[in-house]
Amino acid sequence: MSTTVAVAVDEHQQQQLKKGIAEFYDESSGIWENIWGEHMHHGFYDTDAVVELSDHRSAQIRMVEEALLFASVPDDSEKKPRTIVDVGCGIGGSSRYLAKKYGAECHGITLSPVQAERAQALAAAQGLADKVSFQVADALNQPFPDGKFDLVWSMESGEHMPDKLKFVSELARVAAPGATIIIVTWCHRDLSPTEESLRPEEEKILNKICSSFYLPAWCSTADYVKLLESLSLEDIKAADWSGNVAPFWPAVIKTALSWKGITSLLRSGWKTIRGAMVMPSMIEGFKKDVIKFSIITCRKPE
Amino acid sequence: MRLLTHNMLSSNIKGVINGFPLLIEAERVVEKQVDFNLDFLKNMFSKIDWKALADASKTMGYDELPDEVPDPSVLDSQEFLQKFHHALLELHLEEGALVYPETGRRFPVNKGIPNMFLHEDEV
Repeated sequence: MSTTVAVAVDEHQQQQLKKGIAEFYDESSGIWENIWGEHMHHGFYDTDAVVELSDHRSAQIRMVEEALLFASVPDDSEKKPRTIVDVGCGIGGSSRYLAKKYGAECHGITLSPVQAERAQALAAAQGLADKVSFQVADALNQPFPDGKFDLVWSMESGEHMPDKLKFVSELARVAAPGATIIIVTWCHRDLSPTEESLRPEEEKILNKICSSFYLPAWCSTADYVKLLESLSLEDIKAADWSGNVAPFWPAVIKTALSWKGITSLLRSGWKTIRGAMVMPSMIEGFKKDVIKFSIITCRKPE
Repeated sequence: MRLLTHNMLSSNIKGVINGFPLLIEAERVVEKQVDFNLDFLKNMFSKIDWKALADASKTMGYDELPDEVPDPSVLDSQEFLQKFHHALLELHLEEGALVYPETGRRFPVNKGIPNMFLHEDEV
């Protein structure tokens, strides 16, 4: 993998991207939560499942559980995680879920001050204020010393990271010896050995999505695996869950086109509307096998 | 922001060798009652940086902790455990800042949330 994939933009562009991400989520988090709830990630569905609108929230919970299962995170009282970092925590859905599940301390970081505040409020409302804390911080410069966390969790935030190597290095740095690292993220398809890049028509689909969702250049699942290998992380596993998230975007579009969805969008802001308008491109990307929904997990050596 | 969180936060500005602990500028401190959990406290005792906690607690207006890390036998003392619990979990910095001592760089804390985001020239 060339360095152009790892560092897609220069420092100034990176800061601009981060500002854009913060503003996007400051503006759009509320409307998402209002319609879809506290988890800002895909649901996990059986392949070829017929799904009702009411199934999606439990599918989002299932996504968390399937990721923990895939990574073999222990839940016995001796070995279960005690300190967790939620990298790109949104409004804290995963943080609160994991803190409750394991009785662990969870620290979430997000670029969006609005999200951090909402995450904190939800934690207080759910009686978890003593277990979870949220900070506005950059995943590429996590404000934690080395080796602090038993579980390092990144649920659909990796796609926002402009420097994949730095992103993964930080995940590894804050992981304690023996800790599990879980990355669930959007990737593009792996390139064949003879390919240098995606085909132009494939790039076109991704570029449409990038500017509206504040994403830097995409990388492949294989790229992530290579990065983790380069950091000497162990037990690296990866899987393509694209078939298990297929009902998600059609459902999101359906809710966006509902009366509540349209009125909420009109009241939101341009960034949110622009984001909503590229949702069909996500479906196109999945259908054409350009976009992959991937899980990559590993362990930090003891 | 609880002191448990403060004990975790460091600044990693470019060129900074040791960004921990950050000093606290306390503008508004609130006390929030938290259920006592013995196992959690015992587990945390070995993990936290004691000096950072003791200094931070003093800045927040609670001066009941020993300056230096006490012998683990204090974990048998209910009196100690209550003080440890109070400092670690019940003191909240709602408004103020975390300050990197060597440069004076301030990370604001608003509504209990620290903003640790670095500027372009700091990364």
